Amino acid sequence: MIRISEIQESFRIAFEGLQANKLRSFLTTLGVVIGITFVILMGWFLNGLDAALESTVNLLGTDVMYIDKWSWSGGQNWRKTMQRKNITYQQAMEFCNSVKTAEVSLPEAHKWGTTVKERDRTITGISVIGVPYSYSQLPAGTILYGRFFSQFEDEYSTNVTVLGYGVAKALFPEGDAIGRTIKIGGRTFEIIGVIIKRGTMMMDFVDNQVIIPISTFFGVYGMTGRSISIAVKAGSAEKLDEARAEATGLMRSIRNVPPGQEEDFSINETQTFKEQVETLRLATWGIGIGLTLLSFIVGIIGIMNIMFVSVTERTKEIGIRKSLGAKSSSILTQFLVESASLCLVGALIAFTFCSVVIAIAVRLVPEADFLTPYVPPQLILIAAIVSIIVGILAGIVPAIRASALDPVEALRYES
Amino acid sequence: MSNPLIHIEHIARTYEMGGETVHALRDVSLDIFPNEYVALMGPSGSGKSTLMNILGCLDTPSSGVYTFKGLDVNEMTDDDLAEIRNKEIGFVFQTFNLLPRATALKNIELPLIYSGISSEDRKERAIKALEDVGLGDRMLHRPNELSGGQRQRVAVARALVTKPSIILADEPTGNLDTKTGIEIMKLFQELWSKGNTVILVTHEEDIARHARRIIRIRDGKVESDTINPNPVTSFEIP
Ligand SMILES: Nc1ncnc2c1ncn2[C@@H]1O[C@H](COP(=O)(O)OP(=O)(O)O)[C@@H](O)[C@H]1O
Ligand SMILES: [Mg+2]
Repeated sequence: MIRISEIQESFRIAFEGLQANKLRSFLTTLGVVIGITFVILMGWFLNGLDAALESTVNLLGTDVMYIDKWSWSGGQNWRKTMQRKNITYQQAMEFCNSVKTAEVSLPEAHKWGTTVKERDRTITGISVIGVPYSYSQLPAGTILYGRFFSQFEDEYSTNVTVLGYGVAKALFPEGDAIGRTIKIGGRTFEIIGVIIKRGTMMMDFVDNQVIIPISTFFGVYGMTGRSISIAVKAGSAEKLDEARAEATGLMRSIRNVPPGQEEDFSINETQTFKEQVETLRLATWGIGIGLTLLSFIVGIIGIMNIMFVSVTERTKEIGIRKSLGAKSSSILTQFLVESASLCLVGALIAFTFCSVVIAIAVRLVPEADFLTPYVPPQLILIAAIVSIIVGILAGIVPAIRASALDPVEALRYES
Repeated sequence: MSNPLIHIEHIARTYEMGGETVHALRDVSLDIFPNEYVALMGPSGSGKSTLMNILGCLDTPSSGVYTFKGLDVNEMTDDDLAEIRNKEIGFVFQTFNLLPRATALKNIELPLIYSGISSEDRKERAIKALEDVGLGDRMLHRPNELSGGQRQRVAVARALVTKPSIILADEPTGNLDTKTGIEIMKLFQELWSKGNTVILVTHEEDIARHARRIIRIRDGKVESDTINPNPVTSFEIP
């Protein structure tokens, strides 16, 4: 049993040692500082990634799926997908009129990478989406300010538009978009609403879009030669399986896919984003873990080395302590506390460093708003625990050597 | 007579050195009773320190029997031995063996730390021990700020602070001038007269003459074990 008084003594000795050898302590902890820095930065990034994914998935709707010619994950054979026939507007409407399990289902027409003009300003890389008025019932159609277009405006191919958050912010930073006009496909549209901010980070494109009535869309861009997407809102995440099953069957029959043959369409879900993020996460882990392990190995070797020096320097002290009744376990604790403290100081330095780096990073890259401007609290705890474990790993062999010293031999030692 | 504090029988201690066996102790038998004042005398290399280390449970004999307060030391684990050193033995060394970075008070507190005494009690007892050796005004001095005699007094205070059964002093005056040496001997005389058991290792006749019993060691064996008929009791500084 190790007594509280001995543990207190161990900490006292450890901090005395740290103070006596400030520079040496700092240099030895460098590996741990770098290792913990990786842990914190990696954790911080993954933390932000999770938050971004969560908000994006929530905004797209966890119960929403998109029936498309293309697969979002792009995992399938590219050439095979290319050979698929377009989903026509008629097929889409047939689907929407027949589907029973969906709460909302509607066709979406896309025009990627176009430009929109506001007076003499032009922005590029914008998608134009043609949808029916019922789009406002999807999470993606949630209005920030203004309103969505009405059934009437939809049916009469009115030139009205609802802007994605990114477009609105770029053209009207003051927030005075409503009532202004922009040119889409050469025609003038009145802005009647702005959609809430949905995308974060790599999902930015979802905000760089303008929404117009689907009838207007066909008027501007034509109906032929394009594949329509079908948005299906199941109503709840639990109903998704049922809706997917019905959608698959229905689509197969609409597109005359013979039994036993592979579908010539894809059902995309927000799950796909998770898979993409998972890839990014794995990459981060792969790089992060590798670098972290490397620096910890370097750190452990350095600390182990300095602990051996410390044990040798204090052989006489160990002898004295043993002659006064210190047990081997007391000496072991003393040296483990010392190396753990050394690493904990390293973690503290890393934490300070990371706090500064993070504060600067979020200021330099304001788009990365999914990242917290501070070190997440749970990471501080993890960093502390990891550093203590590293300290124990680095200190265990020197500490065992110290504790196993023969008292008489140790007392005879003269430095 | 009361039971012996220390009972050793046919103790031997050998060291292996470069294939050669060094016989530091051969066949030593002794009994030491409570409140004895014993001097272990003998020339350098005769085995005094080896014997003292064994008596103090810092070392264990290669063969023979050692019972401390009736308990078989050979049966004890390392932790048991540490506990005996902590509670029953007070060591005083020739080279003082104080921790250089710790104050006098901290040095004296050390053994109490290993007996798990709370920090307030520790401090109180350490202050008392330091006052008992006449260094109440040197509490926060570090060893290098103290004279040799003062350092040895701190060491004596540290040995006493746990109220041990035996004080073991290995050449305690060896690094001191005659005058300070006599002061330390006076301290041991006082401890003994207060009821402590004192074992003193020395190779100097002048120092051994303070003890009540003189055991002479030569070549690892007890040469003689006699009562000192007229121990020195005056401490005039020559
Ligand atoms: N650790 C050791 N290794 C080898 N020989 C030792 C060791 N310790 C003591 N000795 C030898 O044992 C003998 C007794 O030593 P010691 O007990 O220190 O004598 P004293 O204290 O009487 O001068 C000496 O010959 C010494 O060289
Ligand atoms: Mg000796």
